[in-house]
Amino acid sequence: MIRNILVLTFNDLLIAIKNKAIYLIIFIPFFVFISLNFIDKPNADSSPLEIGFIQHEAYAPAIIDSVAAAEQVITMTWIQNEQEGKTLLKEKKIDGILLRNKNAPDSLTLLVLKKESLHTIVIVESFLALQKAAEGNRDAWIADIEALYAGGIQRQTLPTWILMIVLLIGFIILPAQVAEEKEKKLILALLQTPINEFEWLLAKTLTGMVLTMVAVLILHLLGGFGVVDLTGYIAFIAVGGFCFSAYGVFLGFLCRNQASARTLGVVFYLPHLLPSALSDFSQQLSSIAPLLPSYQFYGPLRAILLEDGTMANLSFEWSYLLLVGTLTFFFSYLLMKRRWLMK
Amino acid sequence: MQVEVRGLTKLYNLDRGLRPTSFVVRQGELIAVVGHNGAGKSTLMKMLANWILPDNGEAMIDGILLKNRTAVVGKVGFVPEVPNLFDFFSVEYNLKLFAYLFRMPFSRVDEVLSEFNLRPFRKNKIQTLSKGLKQRVNIGRALLANPSVLLFDEPTSGLDFEMTKELYRLLKNIHAAGKTIFFTSHRPEEIKTLATRILVLHEGSIIFDGSPKEYFQSQVHENLYAL
Repeated sequence: MIRNILVLTFNDLLIAIKNKAIYLIIFIPFFVFISLNFIDKPNADSSPLEIGFIQHEAYAPAIIDSVAAAEQVITMTWIQNEQEGKTLLKEKKIDGILLRNKNAPDSLTLLVLKKESLHTIVIVESFLALQKAAEGNRDAWIADIEALYAGGIQRQTLPTWILMIVLLIGFIILPAQVAEEKEKKLILALLQTPINEFEWLLAKTLTGMVLTMVAVLILHLLGGFGVVDLTGYIAFIAVGGFCFSAYGVFLGFLCRNQASARTLGVVFYLPHLLPSALSDFSQQLSSIAPLLPSYQFYGPLRAILLEDGTMANLSFEWSYLLLVGTLTFFFSYLLMKRRWLMK
Repeated sequence: MQVEVRGLTKLYNLDRGLRPTSFVVRQGELIAVVGHNGAGKSTLMKMLANWILPDNGEAMIDGILLKNRTAVVGKVGFVPEVPNLFDFFSVEYNLKLFAYLFRMPFSRVDEVLSEFNLRPFRKNKIQTLSKGLKQRVNIGRALLANPSVLLFDEPTSGLDFEMTKELYRLLKNIHAAGKTIFFTSHRPEEIKTLATRILVLHEGSIIFDGSPKEYFQSQVHENLYAL
């Protein structure tokens, strides 16, 4: 049985190469890699910096006065607490938050999305200039810089790109391949051999998982992105790959031919991609997104890649993805048994 | 009896398809299944090939129920009207893949390549072959596991004169090897040349079951194909 599955998987991978689907797997990481080189080059001179100040924080009057006077360079945004500031920072509505330094109460801590960015340098330089103008050469107001996310903008966009890849394989490539095999009666030819429905489905799902893993690996190699919990990360990508590959195979079984499979694939692709990838930027989307399996994949990905999280506390997401994958696999099995749209 | 069909039924939209059908077939018979489009010929073939599942009834090959798919696998070879091969791959790859899945040695692929004069095309991709050659590969694949029953759905459809003659020769050779063969056809000369028995289907029911001689002497053929 295992040999059958491996042979069918190998055959499916060869088909992916022959029908050019593999080009997408290679093209997308390259596209992402090139795109990322155009990101993180903000024109810092074009608009004033938006800096968040916490309302009940006891800032030195000199700092407040200086910043208020330099309104063309820095705009003050008063926020209720640090949590609200972090939300605004994630939504990119402010460029940084100034907090009282816990170790040195007279100085400040600057909280930004990423330490090593042009934006952060511009903020620090602006405050240095203000401080010099107001007080002369004293200790800098900003004594410490903290980053909300590890890594840069490139890394921050990584979960979205990985979600795109997984959904592309699941919703665009696999349904078309399944529908093609139905349309050309190749599944029926295979089912005249000792291959059974379960083996065929498992081979197809494995193909999706292998394609997912390869695409994600290429993306990491090109971008030089490391991961703290590598084993957990690989396992999670595999579970996501299983979920969306099984889902994609199921979509393929709902279609009679390739054209309808591609259309149905896009119909599922975008609603799964956009709410999840944009959930950070919209309260409404944040409330809808958790209903989608793509969000249960995307959320933990962000935690692992951006907050150096581990898989320890993600049992709900694991279970959710495995459940969706298993259910869609089972539905595909039922449709295959009934030779659905295969006549 | 090698093939036993008992009340096999498959209806689409309650009128088209195959109405309850029963017949038995001895080993070595070459049966032409004749009828108009929509008479139920392909439905019967596809049910015997396990491509579609019957609404009712059952069929047995060598005493094994057809629904016991894993047990009956390898006993029936089906050659559909449109060749269903992996187009991107070569003739040899296609045959080797199926030989592997049938648990047959790769030497069997060499035998089939020689038997069907496919050796010169072994490295050619399926998509570059003519329909006749594709059909030859398809038949070769169906024979890989050495099945005792072979089903051909419109085997000469779309083939030119030379290819049709070549296919008749192949069918006769396969029949001479003791295989039981079913084929669907519209062509009187094909039925006359090849068949040892004729089953006529009309609106999903068998209306004639007999020898070619009886068939052409009766009014069935005339009534069926009267203008």
